[in-house]
Amino acid sequence: MSFRIDPENNETRALFAVANFGGQHVLEIGCGDGRFTWRYAEKAERVTAIEPSAKQIALAREHLPNQLQGRIEFHNIAFEDFASASAPSAFDIVILSWSLC
Amino acid sequence: MVHALEEIHRLLKPTGALIDIHPVAESSPIEIHQCGRIDLVGYLSIRQWCIDFQQADNALTEIAQRGLFAVEHQGVSNSLTYYASAAEMLTSLQESIDKFARDAQSAGEAAPHAEALAARAEELMRAAVSEAELIVHERTHISRLRPT
Repeated sequence: MSFRIDPENNETRALFAVANFGGQHVLEIGCGDGRFTWRYAEKAERVTAIEPSAKQIALAREHLPNQLQGRIEFHNIAFEDFASASAPSAFDIVILSWSLC
Repeated sequence: MVHALEEIHRLLKPTGALIDIHPVAESSPIEIHQCGRIDLVGYLSIRQWCIDFQQADNALTEIAQRGLFAVEHQGVSNSLTYYASAAEMLTSLQESIDKFARDAQSAGEAAPHAEALAARAEELMRAAVSEAELIVHERTHISRLRPT
């Protein structure tokens, strides 16, 4: 695929206008193939990205940019299962990316 | 959905923030741009097949009314996706349908719609006198909420 999504970075600018990711531990719910995750992960301290689709999470792992290695943890898990196994007050920012439905 | 937001509230630090991003439930124009000229291919009617993102807006309103979160910011972002060919756009649309269709029936109804748009785009691109770009517009809601 050679298509370009939002090369003008309008969505990224809108995201950075509402959140400062510096030094933050971020949970992204519904990360899909990671295309959105790459946009902010470099600014975050650490990202935990969860996705219920095994196919999508495999794509995310496969396309993880080198500079983000070690910064992002991917989990192939539904949010309910992830939440029930997680400690309270663990995250500075939670992102719902097309997943609140 | 509201239960999920309660869980998110539990996982967030008291000083944290919830960012919600979801598409605006409206038709997205698809265009072909060449040499300053814009031809409309048609509209991608996501409302007909996509999961109901209006429910997401309702859940955010409800959770704010219940006092779990306070809305600090709400806005809309416009973005464009550029495709080199109609076939590439169709593959991408089919992936979106697979991921976001409400159910199998909606997915089945959406597929011919996507194919018709791709066929129209192909026709217009073939008629283009110079290199043309196929562009899909998308508008997304972005909200920031803080736990209260």
